[in-house]
Amino acid sequence: MSAKTPPKCPPEGDHLLLAKIKQAIGPAYLAHGVTPEGHLCVMVQADKIREVASAVKSMGFDHVLSLSAIDYMAEKKFVVTYIFASYLSPELKGQLLHVRTEIPRDNPKIASIADIFPSADYEERECHEMFGIWFEGNTHMGKRFLLDPDCCIDEKTGKPLYPLRKDFKVPDWGLMG
Amino acid sequence: MSQALREFLLKKAKLEKIFNWGVRWSLWPVHLVTSCCGVEVAHTSGPGFDAERWGVLPFHTMRQSNVILVEGTITRKMAKVLKMVYEQMPEPKFVLAMGACAVRGGLFWNSYHVVQVDTVVPVDVYIAGCPPTPEAVVRAFIMLHNKIKGKPGPFIEPSKVDLTPYLPPPPKPAAPRPAPQQTAQPASG
Ligand code: SF4
Repeated sequence: MSAKTPPKCPPEGDHLLLAKIKQAIGPAYLAHGVTPEGHLCVMVQADKIREVASAVKSMGFDHVLSLSAIDYMAEKKFVVTYIFASYLSPELKGQLLHVRTEIPRDNPKIASIADIFPSADYEERECHEMFGIWFEGNTHMGKRFLLDPDCCIDEKTGKPLYPLRKDFKVPDWGLMG
Repeated sequence: MSQALREFLLKKAKLEKIFNWGVRWSLWPVHLVTSCCGVEVAHTSGPGFDAERWGVLPFHTMRQSNVILVEGTITRKMAKVLKMVYEQMPEPKFVLAMGACAVRGGLFWNSYHVVQVDTVVPVDVYIAGCPPTPEAVVRAFIMLHNKIKGKPGPFIEPSKVDLTPYLPPPPKPAAPRPAPQQTAQPASG
C-alpha cells in the first residue's frame, strides 16, 4: 500500500507577485502555487532561506506573520512555513507570501532569520519547542520559553520531547476517559 | 456591655452560625483569568447581573480575599501559580472551577499541557458551560452560600412531575448490529 504523497505547495496558478518574486529570489526558487485564498506560495531551498528572507524584505514585506512547521513523519521531513506580510507598502496590502522549505526530520536544522525579521524571533523559539527544529543563529535555542520546565521530558533519557510531532504520545493526566 | 453581648450570643445563637453568616455575605473572589471565561465574570459583577447583591466583590489581591474563581483553562505552568495563590489565601477559602476547561479539560482534553483543577486544589463548586452564563456563576455562588450554611446540594431541584403521558412513545430499540470483523492491525501506529 503506497501512501499518497501530500502536496507541499498548493496547485500552480498565476499570480501578480510571481514574476517579481522569481526575479528577487533567483536560484533558491523550486516551485510555486496559489492558495485557495489567492496568496502566493513558493517552495525554496532550505540552505538559501536567509537570502530569500533578505530578498523578500527588500521587496517591501516588513514582518513575519507566522512561522510554523508541518511534520511529514512517513516521508521523514519537516516543511517549515514562513508567512510574510506588509504593513507599510501600499501595493502589498492584503497580500500574504507563503514561503515553504523542506528539512530532514532526523537532523532538523535551518538558519535563523530573526536578525532580518525581528518578529520571527518568538515564532522560532515556539517552533523549536514544539517541533524540535534547531534555528541556527537564534540565541534562545535549547531553552524552554512556553512549555513548563517539568513537562514533555522523556523519563528514561531526560531529553526533551516535542509535543507537536506526530509521534508524541500525550501522557494521561486523568483528563481522558 | 460586651460581656452582656457575649452572653447573649453564646446563649441565643451558636457563634459558628454568626461566623458563617459573615463569611457567606462577603465572598471576595480573586480573578484567575486564564482564558475566555473571564469575560463572563466581568459581566457577572457588572451592573446587569450585579453579583454584589450576594456579597461577591471581585478583588485583586489574594491575601485579602477568600474565593478563587478559576476562570478557564489551567496549563501546567499556571497550575503552579494557582497552587501558590491558594496557599497564600487566609482561611476559610473556597475554589470555584468555572467552565468546561477547568472542570475536565474542556476542548483541550487531550492536550499535552492542560491539567484538571481538582488535581491541584480542592474544588467546592463546579460551573458547567463553555462559557458559563453569568446566571450560572451567580447560581454557583448561591450554591456556595448553601454549602457554607451547611446545606449543600443542587441549586435546582429535579422535576418531580411525571411527563410520560404527554410525551411521544420512545423509539423501539434497534436490532443489534453484527460485531465488527476483527482485522489485523498494522504493526506501526
Ligand atoms: S470553558 Fe470555554 S469559554 Fe471557558 S475557558 Fe474553556 S474554552 Fe474558554
